[in-house]
Amino acid sequence: MSTAIVVPDNVPGALSQADSRAGKYLTFQLDHEEFGIRVLQVREIMGLQDITMVPQTPLYVKGVINLRGKVIPVLCLRAKFGLAETGYTARTCIIVLQIHQHARAMQMGIIVDAVSEVLNIAPNEIEDTPDFGGSLPTPYLLGMAKIKGKVKILLDIDQIAGPDDIQGAYCRVS
Amino acid sequence: MMNVTQEPGLQKRKTRKRTADSPEATPRNAIITAIRQTVDQMAAEVLASQGGEDVTAKVLASLSEVSEQARAAGLGEIPPLASELSEAVHSGEGKEGLLLQGIDRLHQAIDRGRQEAPKAEPGGQSQPALARISADPEILAEFLVESRDHLASIESHLLTLERDAGNTEAIHATFRGFHTMKGLAGFLEFPAIQKVAHEVESLLDKVRSGQLSITPTLVDVVLESADYLRTDVARIERAAQGEAVPKPADNEPLLVRIQAQLTGNKKVPSEAVIGETAIAPPKTDAAPNQTAEHEAKPEETKKEIKPEETRPEAKPEETKKSSSPESRFVKVDTSKLDFLVDMVGELVIAQSMIHHDGQLSSISNPKLQRNLSQLGRITGEVQKTAMSMRMVPIGQLFQRSVRLIRDLTRKSGKKAELVLTGEDTELDRTIVEDLADPLIHMIRNAADHGVEPPHERVQAGKHPVAKIGLKAYHQAGHIVIEVSDDGRGLNREKILEKARQRGLIQDSHQLTDNEVFNLIFEPGFSTAEHVTDVSGRGVGMDVVRKQIQKMRGRVDINSEPGKGTTFYLKLPLTLAIIEGLVVAVAKERYIVPIYVVKEMFRPTPASVFTVVNRREMVLVRDKLLPVVRLYQRFGVEPRSTDITQSLLIVAECGSKRFCLAVDDLIGKQEVVIKTLGDTFKSISSVAGGAILGDGRVGLILEMDGLFTESAHG
Repeated sequence: MSTAIVVPDNVPGALSQADSRAGKYLTFQLDHEEFGIRVLQVREIMGLQDITMVPQTPLYVKGVINLRGKVIPVLCLRAKFGLAETGYTARTCIIVLQIHQHARAMQMGIIVDAVSEVLNIAPNEIEDTPDFGGSLPTPYLLGMAKIKGKVKILLDIDQIAGPDDIQGAYCRVS
Repeated sequence: MMNVTQEPGLQKRKTRKRTADSPEATPRNAIITAIRQTVDQMAAEVLASQGGEDVTAKVLASLSEVSEQARAAGLGEIPPLASELSEAVHSGEGKEGLLLQGIDRLHQAIDRGRQEAPKAEPGGQSQPALARISADPEILAEFLVESRDHLASIESHLLTLERDAGNTEAIHATFRGFHTMKGLAGFLEFPAIQKVAHEVESLLDKVRSGQLSITPTLVDVVLESADYLRTDVARIERAAQGEAVPKPADNEPLLVRIQAQLTGNKKVPSEAVIGETAIAPPKTDAAPNQTAEHEAKPEETKKEIKPEETRPEAKPEETKKSSSPESRFVKVDTSKLDFLVDMVGELVIAQSMIHHDGQLSSISNPKLQRNLSQLGRITGEVQKTAMSMRMVPIGQLFQRSVRLIRDLTRKSGKKAELVLTGEDTELDRTIVEDLADPLIHMIRNAADHGVEPPHERVQAGKHPVAKIGLKAYHQAGHIVIEVSDDGRGLNREKILEKARQRGLIQDSHQLTDNEVFNLIFEPGFSTAEHVTDVSGRGVGMDVVRKQIQKMRGRVDINSEPGKGTTFYLKLPLTLAIIEGLVVAVAKERYIVPIYVVKEMFRPTPASVFTVVNRREMVLVRDKLLPVVRLYQRFGVEPRSTDITQSLLIVAECGSKRFCLAVDDLIGKQEVVIKTLGDTFKSISSVAGGAILGDGRVGLILEMDGLFTESAHG
């Protein structure tokens, strides 16, 4: 995918890492911020639909939906990121993703405020996640993309929505 | 199940010896001379037989010897000739002429072979077969599947044969199985399988020609060979997956035993040849089993191949049978089947959504209405067919038990026969798989604890051969499997005593028989005085109950001292579909599996009690039952918190009963169970999800988990 792209020499930091991060991203909005996820992991985008609540799960797990006969979990990314939960609008949608964890693939939906566009992000547009100081772990940030003067946050969705994460959170809640 | 690797002889994995007839061991020319001699001798015998003496057996033996030697010497031309001749001898018509011609052709072939340079032996013993395995994975996969099928059919036919020695069709089927295995193994170059299959084939050939009688020892050897083949097939499969595997297990001891059967178990050849019948009917007073196997039961050795079931009659039946059954089946990947069933479920839901669409139904167009109802009918048919494709007859599961009983009784010296009823009863494939272990446990239990030794049985006035029954039938949307024995029955006092020792019960005077019998399902419970390798350690019955409960089934026991015990396993027909009550709490919909529901009612204020610091209780039929409010458990806002406004469902899971409070009952529905996946596996109160008629997901409640959790919470 990215091997054909010649990397300009003005990018500081690890070149090889930037290489693997370049490619097409689906960007979406969440509370005025723009986020990007790898387009290869996106299965489909659908409008909001009836979500069946599942008990004894953390607040950001909204429940399950019927995706053409498959029952898949849905997370609210706002709640997951600790943002205030606003009401759903006409632009609110569910992005269905293919998640890989422990060599197993599963589908999962995330609720976002609005989907923006698909961007091809070149390696020289990606910067490493800045050090937030202290020992703040940021495992689910792939990096930052600067496009036309705006910063978009690239997410490693496998880290965010994996079943381990939900189960771990559930244990803390209970 | 008997396992080959437990056989001491086969456990050694020493380097395989070359057989004496391999080309390196004997100079090639010497072998050719030997072949020539055999053929000459055969010719002489055929000529001598013009007088009337039947030499079929001798000729067949010589022919197989010739082809064996020829194979060793690398004379590729001769084995097909030899087998052609064997067929000719079997067919019986004008065989002398055919034979003499054939012998001439053999001579020519031998002479040609003498002049040719020795070629590499095809399918030779010396070739390390595993190196070539990955050559064509598809062919190999087919071989693995086919071999398993053949082995399974061989086993069941053998067991039939042991009971009914005159069953020529079973002999032929077994023979065919080994023959095909040999062919396949030869083609793919697995010499170990080929060799064993070949030897067994010669053995069975003698059986079917009536030269050998069927004895338990013979069946043992053949079964062992089948086990050997199975182990080797498994080994090949592992190798194909890239695992490092040992060489094939040493088959020398097995071959020796087969040889012993071949030579030592001969019957006295009959002197009378009747008409054109190729095979002489065996004498009824056959010579006793000369291998002097002490285990061999006299009544079984005396079983005879009936004279009327000779080859010419059996042949048309054989050809008829072999062509029909296989061709009518298609092998389909189970995941495809599951997907189809899933999709059909969706189709049904989509259809019902259209059917219930208000706008559509308000259109008074007769054509549209007709088409809609036609759609509904077709959808229903498709669903029925899709569901039936997952159903398999229980017979194959029962067949495994036949082998088990045979091995168990031979080991313990007891005598028992298995009576199978309702083998055609169909149930879901997944249930069949899950049922295998519990069934094995129960049959072991019946054979080891239930059935008495023969002398005790005679003392009790019973037939020395016990009857163990396996019966399957449908009853009210369930399948019932009965495992019965006519043994000593459960000993109520002994169970009570053990239970008291283990502190399972305090006082025993008011326990019903059923309650007492259910104690044997407690973990670690055993009344056996001696621990045998079969049972008596007290594991088993609790595993049975756990497994059955996991399948949403139940076990009941009926037992009479001295007369026997019957276990009733009651299971749903399928695990994929569940019948449930759709209930509502506010806007949420939940499904309560109908098999746990005892009754439903709206409580009156007087029947509800709240014990201080304890949970809420409600009086149902003079019994106080705890109440679990679903909205509290699940954190949903209910329509009303007043319990008299809600509906109580009396649920029974295991031995526990409780009331579940919900807002309303929506209706009864059959739903397809969908797993919620790994994400929600830690939630014990939800068994899965189901797509409801409106396309939404409803959660299926796990009543056991719901109750246990609320008891702790």
